[in-house]
Order: sequence, then structure tokens, then C-alpha cells
Amino acid sequence: MTLLRQYRLASFLQALVAMVAFSIAELDFGMLFTSVVLAMLSWYATEGPRGRTLPDWAANLLVIAAIGWEAFRFLATGELADAMGALGRTMVWILLAKLFARRTASEERQRFALSTMLVIAGCLQSVQFAFGLLIIVFACVSIWSAMLWRLARSAEEARRSREPADAAKGGEAFAPPLEIVVGRRAVPQFRGLVAASVLAVLGVGIGVFILFPRFADIGGTGGRGPGATTGFNEEIRLRRGDRITESRRELFTVRWIDPDGSSRRMLRPILLRGAVLAWYDPSGERWVPMRAEVGIRTVRTPEDGAFASLARGAVETTGSVSTVDIQMRSYATDTIFSVYAPIAIATSEPRSVAIDPATLVLRDVSRDRTGRYWSYSLRVQPQPSAEVLAALSSGNSTRGAYVTFPIEEIRPIAEEILASLPASASLPPRPVPSSTDAERALWGREVARAVAAYMRANFEYTTDLSRFPRVEGEDPILSFLTRYRAGHCEYFASGLCAVLRSLGIPSRIVTGFIAMEYDESAGNYIVRESNAHAWVEVRTGPNAWMPVDATPEESLAELQERNRSFMDGFRWMYGSLEFLWNSRVVSYDASVQSTYASRLQSGWRDAVGERLEQALARMRAIALDLSLGRAGGAWFATIAIAISTALLAVLIVALRRRRLRARLRVGGATRAERRRLLREAAFYVEALDLLARAGFAKPAHLTPQAWAAELAARHPALGTAFGAVAERLYRVRYGGSEEVSGEGRSGADSHQSLLLELRSAIRQNLQPRRAD
Amino acid sequence: MQPGFSGASIDFPRDPGHNARVPVVNDIPKRRTRVVRAGLIYATVVLAIGIAAGSRPNNLLVWVFACLLAALVASGIVSGWMLMPLRAIRVEPRRGRVGEPLLVRYEIRNTSRLFPAFDLHVVETDSTSVGSGLTPAGEAWVLHVGPGDRVHAEAVFRPTRRGTARLSRFEVRSTFPFDLLQKTLVFSQPADVLIHPEIRVLREEILRRVTAGGIGGQRISGQAGGSDDFFGVREYRPGDSVRQIAWKRLAGTGKLASIERSRSVPPRVRVLLDLSRATAALRVGEGEDARALEEDAIVLAASFIALADRLGYEYALSIAGLPSPPVALRRGHFHREKLMSLLAALDLERPRTAGNGLAASDERSTVIVIHADRAETSIAPQNAWHFTARQLAQLTDRAGRPSGDASEGAQPAAVATTGEGAAA
Repeated sequence: MTLLRQYRLASFLQALVAMVAFSIAELDFGMLFTSVVLAMLSWYATEGPRGRTLPDWAANLLVIAAIGWEAFRFLATGELADAMGALGRTMVWILLAKLFARRTASEERQRFALSTMLVIAGCLQSVQFAFGLLIIVFACVSIWSAMLWRLARSAEEARRSREPADAAKGGEAFAPPLEIVVGRRAVPQFRGLVAASVLAVLGVGIGVFILFPRFADIGGTGGRGPGATTGFNEEIRLRRGDRITESRRELFTVRWIDPDGSSRRMLRPILLRGAVLAWYDPSGERWVPMRAEVGIRTVRTPEDGAFASLARGAVETTGSVSTVDIQMRSYATDTIFSVYAPIAIATSEPRSVAIDPATLVLRDVSRDRTGRYWSYSLRVQPQPSAEVLAALSSGNSTRGAYVTFPIEEIRPIAEEILASLPASASLPPRPVPSSTDAERALWGREVARAVAAYMRANFEYTTDLSRFPRVEGEDPILSFLTRYRAGHCEYFASGLCAVLRSLGIPSRIVTGFIAMEYDESAGNYIVRESNAHAWVEVRTGPNAWMPVDATPEESLAELQERNRSFMDGFRWMYGSLEFLWNSRVVSYDASVQSTYASRLQSGWRDAVGERLEQALARMRAIALDLSLGRAGGAWFATIAIAISTALLAVLIVALRRRRLRARLRVGGATRAERRRLLREAAFYVEALDLLARAGFAKPAHLTPQAWAAELAARHPALGTAFGAVAERLYRVRYGGSEEVSGEGRSGADSHQSLLLELRSAIRQNLQPRRAD
Repeated sequence: MQPGFSGASIDFPRDPGHNARVPVVNDIPKRRTRVVRAGLIYATVVLAIGIAAGSRPNNLLVWVFACLLAALVASGIVSGWMLMPLRAIRVEPRRGRVGEPLLVRYEIRNTSRLFPAFDLHVVETDSTSVGSGLTPAGEAWVLHVGPGDRVHAEAVFRPTRRGTARLSRFEVRSTFPFDLLQKTLVFSQPADVLIHPEIRVLREEILRRVTAGGIGGQRISGQAGGSDDFFGVREYRPGDSVRQIAWKRLAGTGKLASIERSRSVPPRVRVLLDLSRATAALRVGEGEDARALEEDAIVLAASFIALADRLGYEYALSIAGLPSPPVALRRGHFHREKLMSLLAALDLERPRTAGNGLAASDERSTVIVIHADRAETSIAPQNAWHFTARQLAQLTDRAGRPSGDASEGAQPAAVATTGEGAAA
């Protein structure tokens, strides 16, 4: 039987999809390759021409070995955070061992359970779109597999029920072998049922997903949101890992539009700010963001897509103002990435944007959201004037901040670097206590540029830090500056900021993205996940900061070039889907739920409430026109009741006709004949109802005459009465003309008399029973 | 008293399964839903995942929970849509025989115009079915019934004792699609099945010996017909074949005459089952059961009838001690089945009566008398052959092969005889 043979394939595919999904959730492509190859091998070995399986003891040994190996690895690394990953990997190896094992009912159940647990473990590890897609595939395959499993098990049970108890000892079978009973077109109907079940599960699943109570804002204004997984981070942890992402996933595109409306490529890469990190925590070896507790301004963008000013009060902009258009591809986050000091913002749909006056970082704080923003535009000045900066910062000059660094050992190193700067740097004289702010700012700016150039020349850029082991008791910034002199952008920014602050120059770290890959044909920059970047800003005025990037730009370009592949041209499609996934699914939380609820409520009110009001007003107008006065309401109520009663009557008649059609089986009759039968043979259905109420329901497989004979054998009077009804039915049904009794009564009267006789026979029959 | 046996009547028992009249049954079957063990485990796991999803801001976990919960709901919906339009009847549960598979057929009709039904188990559930000596030996299972389709499935039962077995209710069950919920339709359709006694394969030479050369042996019958040996000459009747005309007589006498030829008839055996003694009055040894001896006697009688039928004999059955209809010597399938039904419907609880139940004394046949415990020669004519139930095992062909090749030299098993039949 084809259906029963399909089960093995379905079960195999289910396990395969589960392993692939978990490998993708873990981003472990080694495991992905290994598991797929081994799974294919198992399919060939067990289902191939030889059909061999591992003996039970060997399969159990493999399972024990897998558990032991993963436990050893987990204990060796000691990463508690990787516990779920280790558990998942163990399950992958066990599942692979079971794919080679003998197929028993117990093994099949274990495989099903392992596959499901593997996917659940993946859910705790990843929210990627690819993984989400695989979850849906897994759900579909699981439904298919579970349905086939049920059929296969039942066939096995039915077969086994016919085997002798001593079949193993060669006992003779008592029952004939099972012949599987299958109707017509079983396979396509099974496929249809699977499809219907998949749709039902997905439909109900989506409903449950939408209505499931959520108590936390997953991607709300306070959380990091799903964007935290894309390379960009709101804080820098220098001991988090040895590598940073080199993913080529497209996150968004950036278009720089000059005042004349033409888009152009900038001479230097565009730095898009996402977070400002002010403080270094030596104990945690991390840079943490600084957020203003007060003074955060919120701007609501207009519906028509016009720009909303981010500054307090009116700002007179002198000089050219450019526009930066940002189109999200796959990145769904609350952070609004912008170049330094945006003046105004416009969004594709109304949103609330908060600006931190201390850092000029933007954030989407819309509470009534149903997803993430899709695109936005910023008005910027390449060289913002002091007035603009003052208006944006609202006088929050943060003077005195960003000048201390907690690690004292950095200071002599900073002095040493300062001393070793080449004469070509032509630094201005070092400020003294009597120096003005402008002199200090000038010196700080020049020193920052010189130190950044020094680091670019003397330090090595690398994304792989596994060559530089962490030194116990030594801060990673100190190790970077003195011991290794190698690292990625976070180390370069940390080192530069630490040196500058140790020299008393106010500076801070900024994280975000660097837009450097320009698409000439589209006229925009493509920002990828690997473009996540960190740099330094140095104070150059009361509210002015200047970006300084110590990371060698050539190294970044080289890195991008090295990872370029032909797939880059197609990534945008996947990116768009991923944006929808992140925006609509992953970040669906309590605030989105409440937004939907309030929209539904207001929509209902708009749709029904207004119409009701209109209807009442119309009724009042009609009552006024007809001068019905106070009786108008009663008239309308009467009309409404009459219409309702009529509708109910029509419904009852329709239902009765439907029932008659089913009972009389008039499907093949002509229209006229059908109408005649429905009119004339209704008495038969009434007779059946009478019998059913009395406890003599006619079995469907018996003809009316056969049932009358059966009744007559037990209750003669009843049988006779129903026999007359059956005879009349045959005449009406097959006689082709309306029956008229010999007494000249109409057919309807005649039928009624038959029913009366049947009623009296039923009563006669019931009386003795009651007496008993 | 065994059900299905009409004590007052001495007619042949009706085969209840034949032309079975279906008693009052409800048109719409009863429905039942039960959560199976796997479903309980599944629900627990879903609950745990739900709690985890609620306490953790992870939408994928919520999605997994939603899908698992939806599968539970879909399972109920799909199985409900699948089973509700199903109608089933038990089709002609005919007679069975102890020791042979009894096939019970079910007709399952899917009245739905849209939904197919998969994975249907048909199970007899009423306790009387179990108590009536029918042991399930193979369930009826239907993989698929399409919309508007009608299929037949067969269940196998092992009849364990002779008599009337009553089947009352049967269920159509399914745990499809996900093995979480079991939906059941209960159909009430009482039916009686007559279980014939077991038939052992007896040694052929026994019957051949008791009939060879005796009055029950093969011979020329007293009736004309057939085309074998010369029987006589009679006056020509219009319509006689030309080939029948006696030409020599015509030449001699000048009158038309027709030659009649005789017809050979097979040996005739009448089996007399002696149940004239009450069960309690039987002489039994230690460890023996009187009722079992009676049942063995019935089995032996059935086996002799089956052997006689197989050898092409004419045979009949008389029962001493219990009312039974007179049975003429006949052969053929229907005759055999009639006698088997007679044996099947014997009610050993009834009081025993006098008389040997034999037909007219001028019947020319070998009489084989089967006693339960001991031979009582007075019950039968003098030339009858007597057997007891205790000889059942000795008379059985050990090889169990279909007989027909028994060696002529083999001695019959110990046969208790009287009169002319002595000397076995």
C-alpha cells in the first residue's frame, strides 16, 4: 500500500528537518553538514537495496557515546549559557544513532519526541527567519508524518492481531492474513486531508499566537529587541567572544540625497549612530550606554510623510541640508540609525520618535505600533551649526563628562603614545589650566586624529581573536594597547577612547553601522550585518562632537571584499522576508496586542456603532415623515418582529425541505418531480419521526417495507399501520401521480388519515409498556 | 438453557445468520470521545510549553505552543468530521464452527460528500459476545473509506464452543489523525450466530469397514433410472428414447418394449446420537467431566457425518433422548449443514426423553450409535455399530490429512459392537 510505504520517508524527513533547523538555530554549519550527510547515509543503509540496520546494542552504545562526548565538551568549556546548545547537540547525535537503528514502535516514538524537542531547543537559541521557516516546514512534515504513523501502526496492530500467539515458534496462523481495505482514490484524499489538517493547525495556531497573553514587551522601547542579534549592540563586551559576525545579510539601505535631489556617494563612509557608550566598567570589561534620565524629547511624525523637527523650537538652518533615506531590508529594531545631529525626521507611517539630547540618539517609542518601521528619512547638515546643535541638545552640554577612565595603567601608556606621535602630526600646544575651551577642543581634536592615525599604522585589524588569549588579571584594553596590538573595531574604539580620556580629552564610544558598500546602479549604500561598527566621538565644542575612527578603513573594505559572493545580489529578497518575520512575528508583544485590540474596538465602534446611529436616525426621520409620533417605535418593532418571524419560517421550511430531500433520496429526479415528491411524500418523513419518537427508528439500511415487516413481527398493529404508510410511499414515489383515496378525499387528507392510524397504533403499543 | 434453541419445536433450527432480520436499532449511532494515554502525555507537554512560553519573552516558543495546541484542536475536529457521517452494519454473520475461523463482515458507508475516513477499527464490544464463546482472533481494520464510498471489512473470531453466540453491539473506533483522541461510534445490532460442533478428521477405513458388504453397502437400488446395469423390460411409453427400445423383444413379439436400467446408490449410514441418559446419570471416571463427554459425543457424531459426506455416502442423524425432527437419508452440502445445525442447537440442559429417534425400521442403512459414556445396545437394532465419546481420540486421523488413502490392511480402532458387528 502506497500510503503505508510513505511513512518511512515522512519520518526520515521529519528528523532531517529537525536537525537542519537546530543546526541553523545554532549557526553551526559543521553540524549541519555532518548531520545531513549522516542522515542521508542512514537512509541509504536502512532503506537501500540491502536494508541493514544497526543492532540494538550498537545503537545504544552510540547513544551513550554521544551523551558522554557532549557532556565532556560542556564540562570542558564550562559555559553555562551553552547548556541548551549542548543539550540540542546531544539530541542531534542521538537522533542520528536512532536513524541507523532498527525501526520499532518504541524507536519511532523516541525519534518523534527527539525531533520535537530539538526544535523546541532551537526556539530557545534563535529567532532567525530561516529557523522560523524551518519550524513551519517541520510542523507540516510532522503532521504528515503523524498521520502516516497512525496508519502504519494500525496496520501493524491489525496484522499482529491475526498472528498466532506462538508465531515466533512457528505456530500456525488461525485467521486468514489481513487484507487491507482501501476505498477509491485513497492517496489523493489522504493528501487533501493532510493539507486540510496543516491549514487547520496553522490557522488555529496563528489564532492562538495572536491571542496568547503576553506579559512582556519583547521589542518594546526598553528592550534590546531582535536587533541585538544582528551584530549591532548597545553595549560592548570585550570578553564576549573571539569573533564578530561576518554575515553578509542585508539589514538596510542608505541613500544620501543632496539638496538638489540627486543621490551621491560620499567621499568617506557614512557612520550611522545607534548607541552612545559613556562608561567603562572594568569589572565587567564592558562599555555601557549613557541615557539621559530627563530631557528626552518625543516627536510625532505626521501622517502625510512630512518632516517633523527634532529640535526644540524653530531652528534656522544655514548652509545646505541633505536628506538621508533609510530603507529597512531585514532589520526590525526600535533603534533609529542616523548620521550625527539629524534635524528632522519623516516616516512612512506616523510614529513617535524620541531623541536623547545628550547623545542625539533616536529611538522609536511608538506604543500603538503593530510592527516595526519600514523606512524613514532624515534631514541632516554635514557640518551642523552651533545653533542647530544647541537646539537639538536643548542646552544639555554635558560639560565635564566623558573625561575619566577607571584604569590608571592606561595613563602612562597614553603619555607614551602621545610622545611617540610623529612630528608631522603638528599638534597644537598642550592646554594649561588657563587655556580656553576652544584651545582645549582644538588640542583634543588634533590629538584624537593623531592617535587614531597612529593606531591605524601600528595596530593590526582582525576579527579573529582566538590567536590572542585572554590574560588573567589584565584588562583587555590594556592587553590590546600593550601586549597584542590587534583586534577588531570594538578594541580600536576602546583603546582610542581609553587613551584620549586618560589624556583628559572628552570622548565617547559610538556603536552603529558603517555604510561603505555603494551600489552604483541603485544609487544607495547597502548596509550588511558585518557592517556593525564602533568608533569614537571627541568633543569639539559645547554641544559638538566629532567622529574619529581608529579602525583602518582599508581593513574594513578588505574584509567586505573578501566575503563578497554571488549570493549578495539575491540577499535582498530573503532580507525583505526576514524583516517581515522580525517585524511581525518575533517582535509581536503586549503593546502590539493592545494596539490591535484597540484598533479592533474602535473599528467595531466605527463600523457598527455609526451604522446603528444612522439607522436609528433614519427611523426617526421616517416616523417624523409619517407622523407616527410615539407609536413609531411600536410600529417599527412590529415590522421587525414580522420580518424576523418570516425569516425564521423560511429557514424552518428550507431546513425541512432539505431533510425531506435527504430522506426521500430525490437527488436524481427532475426538478418538477422533485417538487412533487417534496409536496406529496412529506407524510412519510412525518411517519418516520413518529416512529423514532416512539423508539422505533427505522434503520437506514432497511427499506420501508422491510421495516414494516420487521415491526409487524413484533407489534402487529404498528407494523400494519406503517405498512400502509410504506405502501402509500411507494405509490407516490414510483407511481408518478398524486394518490387520491377511494372516498374522494385529497391526497393530503388521505395521508393524514394514515398518520392518524399510525399514531393510534403507536399509542396502543405504548400503553401496555406503560402498564408494565 | 442455551439461547437460540427452541425447546418446544422439533423443526430444524434456523440458521440465525441466514436471512438475518435486523432488530430495532437506532439510525444514528452513539458517539463517544476518549483521551488516550498518548493524548494525556501530549496535553501535559503542551501545558508545560505553554507555561514556559508565557513566562519567557520568546515568540517562537509561543508559536510552537500554538501549533501543538492547534494540533490537539485539529485532531478533535478532523476525527469528528471523519467519523460523524459514518454508518456501519454487520453483514450476515453466518454460522461458525468450533476450531475454525469465523469471519464477520462489516459494511461501512461514508455518507459524507466531502470528508474521507481513515484508520477505522471495528470491534465487537458487548460482553455477551465474549461470554458466548467467541474469542477475537483478528480485528477488522479499514484504512480508508472515501466520501460516498462503501467498504467491507472482516473480523475473525475463534468459536470456542458449540451453540448460539450472540453478537450485540459493535464499535467503529479511530484515533486518527494524531493518536491523541479516540472517537467511537457505537452501533447496536443484535445478531445470533450458530456455532457448529467441531469436526475431527476420522480414519476413512472405519466407515468403509462398518459399511462394507453389509446392508449399508453399495448396491443396486430398487428404483429404475440411471444408465448402469439391466433392471428389466416394460411396455413402451410414448416419450421413451429410441435407444431404450428392446429391439429383440420387438422382433420376437412384435410389441414395443423399453429396457429399464438400474441406478447404483451409495452406502447409507444413519448416525444415532445417544443422549438418552441425563448428564448426571453418566458414568464418568476420575477427572472426567460428564458434560465434556456429551460434547465429545456430539463432536464424534459431527465427524462421522462429515466423513460420510466426504466419502459420498448418504447419511442421516437421529438423536435419542432429545426431541429432534425426523431426518431422511440424503447427501450433499445442504443436508450436511442441516444436520450440523441440528447438532449445534442441541440443548443438553433439557430433560431427556425416551425413544431412540430412529426412522422406520425397514430403512436399509448402517446404523452407527454414538454414546457418551458407555454402549447401550438396546437402544439400536442388533446390527448397529456402537462407539463411545471416549474413542474420539483413537478414531481421529492423527496425521490430520484428508482421508482417502487409508491402507486397506489397517485395523479399525477399537470399536464397541453388538450383534453382527461384533468382532472388531
